[in-house]
Amino acid sequence: MKTIALYSIKGGVGKTAAAVNLSYLSSLLSPPALICDLDPQGASSYYFRIAASKKYNSDKFLKGNKKIYRNIKATDFENLDMLPSDFSYRNLDIELAEEKKPQKRLKKNLEELSDDYRFIFLDCPPNLTLLSESVFAASDLILVPLIPTTLSIRTFVQLKDFFEANKLDSSKIRPFFSMVEKQKKLHRDIINEFGKTPELLTQMIPYNSEVEKMGIYRAPLNAVLPNAPASKAYRNLWDELRSYLER
Amino acid sequence: MRAIPKTVYFKLNGAASVEALPENILNYFPAGWRLKSLGSSKERREFYDTFEWQAFEKGIIIDKKKRTLFLADLDTGMETASLPFPGNLSFFFSDALTPCKLKEKLCSCSTIRAFMKLCSVDALMRSYRILDENEKTIAILTSESLRIIDHRVREPFTHFFALSAYRGYEDEIAHIEKSLMNNKDIDRILEFRELFKEMMHAAGHTVQDYSSKISLTLDPNAPIHESARRLLHFTFSVMRLNEAGIKKNIDSEFLHDYRVAIRRTRSILKQLKGVFDAGETAHYLNLFRDLGKRTNELRDKDVYLLQQATYCQYLTPSLQPSLKIFFDNIAASRKMLHRQFSRYLSSDAYKSFLEEWETYLNRPSHTEPEQIPYASLSTRSIAIETIKKAWKKVIRHGRLVSQETTDAELHGLRIYCKKLRYLLEFFASIFPYKTINPVIRQLKELQDNLGDFVDFTVQLRFLHEQLTLMPADKLLAASTGGLIAILFQKQEEARLKFHKTFRSFDHEQTSQLFHDLLTST
Repeated sequence: MKTIALYSIKGGVGKTAAAVNLSYLSSLLSPPALICDLDPQGASSYYFRIAASKKYNSDKFLKGNKKIYRNIKATDFENLDMLPSDFSYRNLDIELAEEKKPQKRLKKNLEELSDDYRFIFLDCPPNLTLLSESVFAASDLILVPLIPTTLSIRTFVQLKDFFEANKLDSSKIRPFFSMVEKQKKLHRDIINEFGKTPELLTQMIPYNSEVEKMGIYRAPLNAVLPNAPASKAYRNLWDELRSYLER
Repeated sequence: MRAIPKTVYFKLNGAASVEALPENILNYFPAGWRLKSLGSSKERREFYDTFEWQAFEKGIIIDKKKRTLFLADLDTGMETASLPFPGNLSFFFSDALTPCKLKEKLCSCSTIRAFMKLCSVDALMRSYRILDENEKTIAILTSESLRIIDHRVREPFTHFFALSAYRGYEDEIAHIEKSLMNNKDIDRILEFRELFKEMMHAAGHTVQDYSSKISLTLDPNAPIHESARRLLHFTFSVMRLNEAGIKKNIDSEFLHDYRVAIRRTRSILKQLKGVFDAGETAHYLNLFRDLGKRTNELRDKDVYLLQQATYCQYLTPSLQPSLKIFFDNIAASRKMLHRQFSRYLSSDAYKSFLEEWETYLNRPSHTEPEQIPYASLSTRSIAIETIKKAWKKVIRHGRLVSQETTDAELHGLRIYCKKLRYLLEFFASIFPYKTINPVIRQLKELQDNLGDFVDFTVQLRFLHEQLTLMPADKLLAASTGGLIAILFQKQEEARLKFHKTFRSFDHEQTSQLFHDLLTST
């Protein structure tokens, strides 16, 4: 089992779209897969039309084991399950702080699912908190979508600095350009400048209005419009990731 | 293993077609829910199991769809393993499958029995998604009609619904299921096991209808003559049931069970003295002995062929290929012997033998009562008497086995043990299970030791014969020599083990077990 986090300090960079489409592709090509929606906004849960059971909350998520197991739901796609988010996840940081080893909590809970899934995707909320640290410890790979803008690059540098300051394994971090609009000079310049970064994945995800329409289809773009430019880009990105993970 | 929720199966009252849905089904759903048709499809399913239903006994269903073999759980119908399976085989062996989870599971059912195609079924399906208010699929409802592939019957033999909840939506579906069951159109909820049995029934099979084990329940107070006849009817039915499998050359167990039935028949006639007319008994003993003899060589060849992998393991890899010639020769002579015996099974001579025996079994005894003095005694008293006698014989002959433990001594003792074992099995039903089972277990240990010894002796004799007959092939001679050396060593190990095994059998504890058994009824 490999755990892949879709993470960024900054919001609106395409984390959820990437988590939904990559988890769907992995369920087709390397089944089975699980997507965990860690964001209290519950965008990926919404895309899959899944709401958490009334009894489910952040407390149960932290307890793990059967509590998590019972709340996993099948998506409409074979071999792809979801652990939906609940609004109570907004308190996850406070509750994590009360745990004995908060950074290791998520890792421990996910290990219990290791026999069930080949890939687990974490759709993370945009911030840098105790939950983020727990995500860093639990993940084999931290995928960071970057819009080719100054602010986006700045938050990436902040993330790297944080890893260095806290002596974390920064080799897990793999950024990729997201929502790329090549007609914009700024995007082209930043891609040229930042493109030499060794950990950067080569595949970029273009800006595609169809991605925004996922909110209407409420399904992965790759399932609804597999030939859309963004769908093709996600497929190539997954191939690149898979060959990296299977090295 | 990812948790997959259970599927619920139910039927509508009266005849129904694949288009039928429970009336007003939407009334059973919460507001905002709906059904979305996924269209219809057709699927051919071919079911396999061994002659003894060994997969069914382990709760496994084997079915082939398109070019894939699937295993499913008998209670839930859920698939648990699969394997690409091209071609259209009427039977296959688990050993020959590609290594995988499915192979492991089937090997745990049987490696020597063939998995035979039992029937082919066409399933006509119409599926619906059950969507909640968010248009999320929470379950699939499938309407299925099944038809046996048989030119004589064109109509479906059953129609049912399968309601499969998606993971995480079990509670919602359980609620619907509960309210659906109040629907007057719905007959009842079925176990998948029942559907499977119904399918087999439609194809002319009765699940678990065969076992070579004696499954009769004898009346301890009934006259022994009556019980013995019931036992003979049973062994006769086992013989008849195995004939087709022998002729079709499906697996070696058909002949094995057929031979055991012959030996049991002889054992009943021979050991229950004074129960049947002496003259008639002698006549039938001869007929069954001759029949048994016709199968001896064929069975020997089967045993060698079953040992092929073991023999290869005994040799160094460099010598293993040369054994191929050895086994090819055995297979060729087996083929000839099989043809001969199959021809005999289809012959008029065999038919008239069967008729004669069946008539004898069904007609009342004409013998004067004084000539069959024990015939009217109770089954219990004869069982106790004959078991006691046979047990004492085993002990007496076992104690006479010298320190040298000669081949003849061990061979003789093995026969006495077999006789005792047969008696215990014939009369097992009249003794409490708790008392008969430990006795059989003790005896089995001794029989295993003696069986190994005699098997090695026979195999060694055969290999020595082969050495004199085989062509001048150095490698083949070396392999045969290697096998002889190893089998001799194993024979000696079995010989050395004998006194220890027998001491444990000829022990106060075993005596007590026999005493408990013979005083338990």
